[in-house]
Amino acid sequence: MKIGVKLIGPLMYEAGFSEKEIEVPDATTTDALLDRIMISKTRPKIVTRNGKAVAPDDVLKDGDKIAVSPIYSGG
Amino acid sequence: MYGWTGSFLRVNLTTKTWKKEAFSEEFAHKWVGGRGFASKILFDEVRPGTDPLGPENKLIVALGPIAGIPAPNTGKCVVAAKSPLTGFYGDGNLGTRVSEHLRKAGYDAMIVEGKADRPTIVYIEDDKVEFLPAGELWGQGTYATNDWISSKYGAGAGFLNIGQGGENLNRYAVIRSLEGRAGGRPGMGAVMGSKLLKAIVVRGTHPIPQVDPAAMKALGTGDLKKVHKIDQETGWSKQSTTGVLQFCNEVAGLPVRNFRKTQHPESWRVDGERLNEARIATYGCPNCTMRCGITIHDTEGRESELDYENIGLLGTNLEIFDLPQVGCLNYLCDEYGLDTMSAGCVLGFYADAIDHGAVGGDFKFGDAERAKQLLRMAAHREGIVGNLLADGSLRMARAFGNNSEAYAMQVKGLEVAAYNCKFIPGQALAYGVSPIGAHHREAWIITFEIKHTTRESYGPEKAAKVIELQRIRGGMFEFLVACRFPWIELGWSLDNYPKYFNTITGLNWTLDDMWRTADRIYGMIKLNYLREFPGTTRQADFPPAVWFDPSNADTQGPIAGKVLELDKYDGMLQHYYDQRGYDARGIPTKATLSSLGLDAEAAEAQKYATLT
Repeated sequence: MKIGVKLIGPLMYEAGFSEKEIEVPDATTTDALLDRIMISKTRPKIVTRNGKAVAPDDVLKDGDKIAVSPIYSGG
Repeated sequence: MYGWTGSFLRVNLTTKTWKKEAFSEEFAHKWVGGRGFASKILFDEVRPGTDPLGPENKLIVALGPIAGIPAPNTGKCVVAAKSPLTGFYGDGNLGTRVSEHLRKAGYDAMIVEGKADRPTIVYIEDDKVEFLPAGELWGQGTYATNDWISSKYGAGAGFLNIGQGGENLNRYAVIRSLEGRAGGRPGMGAVMGSKLLKAIVVRGTHPIPQVDPAAMKALGTGDLKKVHKIDQETGWSKQSTTGVLQFCNEVAGLPVRNFRKTQHPESWRVDGERLNEARIATYGCPNCTMRCGITIHDTEGRESELDYENIGLLGTNLEIFDLPQVGCLNYLCDEYGLDTMSAGCVLGFYADAIDHGAVGGDFKFGDAERAKQLLRMAAHREGIVGNLLADGSLRMARAFGNNSEAYAMQVKGLEVAAYNCKFIPGQALAYGVSPIGAHHREAWIITFEIKHTTRESYGPEKAAKVIELQRIRGGMFEFLVACRFPWIELGWSLDNYPKYFNTITGLNWTLDDMWRTADRIYGMIKLNYLREFPGTTRQADFPPAVWFDPSNADTQGPIAGKVLELDKYDGMLQHYYDQRGYDARGIPTKATLSSLGLDAEAAEAQKYATLT
């Protein structure tokens, strides 16, 4: 299945891209997706789908648009 | 007494006199510095009803025990006065070498009184104070003024100055220093202008009293290197604060079209990635190793330093998605010495009011060229429109009528920052209960709301989070006087700050001592407010009505069909009051004030208003 991934802020420099579509196996979890794009697991982050937070073990669906952001604190 | 110089500098512009005044150790321990000093001095010395733009108002420049000492991000000072925008206590902080030089000159704060008989520069060098004519600098923008000061006094001097906005009493004029540094959103620049004070320049040569200077030097310089390393490892300063723009767009929290919309497909054109690509230089405050000031060339080829709030309010909020154009609007605000946030809200409100037929006019969203003209008019109070714009969005709404106050994006007269709370209840509360009017500095809980609780909640956990952050952001960082960025952006531990404080003062404070001091200062600011508005109600702590209006709901996206709910917001506000020990008006009770050591201040406030 295909997942749209958008990386926000400095995460894009860590992973080497800011936005792209990624092919993953069915039943891929959020955590597995992050492994795939090589973002450090220890780095504090928030993952959202359609503006709502998703948990590390949430299973993704074909066509999901996922945004991964550092934990911002509003300047 | 270590950690404090033990003295204030009192300068009277009317009489051209000055004196050094000692304060007690007890006073130092109770109010600590920065916002603590400023809120107490203004309560004691500026009577309620005082004209904020009259000679009886006082401008406070206040520092704290760690200000100016080499350690993570101590190059800041607090500026405060009764606000011409909100009508009560107002303040702000900005990066400046004043933090180091005023302390080295022997003062923890400066109190400016009266009004000069002609445009004046106050020059301070240790025990010497001079009142110099500002001459042709009056009428000049802040960049030319900065250059003049640097050429005359050296680039290493500490200085604060105003542009045409402050001179012409624009109510959201700020005080400026160094490159893009600005502070004092609620019109502190206009207070300087009302006193015909163009600039303050200070040079200090004495050591700052510390119990163990060698230990502090080793600790502070070592930690500056550690903070720099974390920044390099995380890459935070590649986009600095502007990384949050795309986060806000994703979660429907971006200000677009006077906050009518929460997302925009063109927002990527002005985001952190584009800003980093356009970067020509980077600036920071003194004692900073994670510099956040990214400059680009604006449409005229000038260097303009942008951060998220500038782009959010002068860019997306006005539907201007051209980075050099946003840079130009930002440059003009900096040059005139206007608060970029209020300026963006004022222009957004003006376009919206025209759009909704509340007032006639020719300004439309997306019109960058007209926006530039309007900023000039607001800074110089040119004509009817310039005068309206210079008074801020609340006064504009009252002049326009036609229910336009509902979408004037402000609380207590201070315009909101660049976070759209159409359906972010906890952040709306943070704006509502910010003690100086809507400001993101006091608390920012959007990530908490989305990641650690539910966005739909109006529960006590959100009130608790707002209070926790107020104690840190609006409290500790504003009375120790240091930038909060190492903590909020890089995760630099809060435990470091009592460590710095104790190493400098020889005391043994914990974070709990910091929170208690923060609560006392918030109580002090609330009493400043109450004395000016004795008939206040809890309605003063509500955000703009448009965020509660179902007809303003998004039609698509993550929060389609949703807006804030009035009854639920009121319930969350009550949670905040209950946890704070405030009454149903949002004012600390007598018992709360007593527990904070504010009995004398409560007795004074009761001469003007009722306490429960």
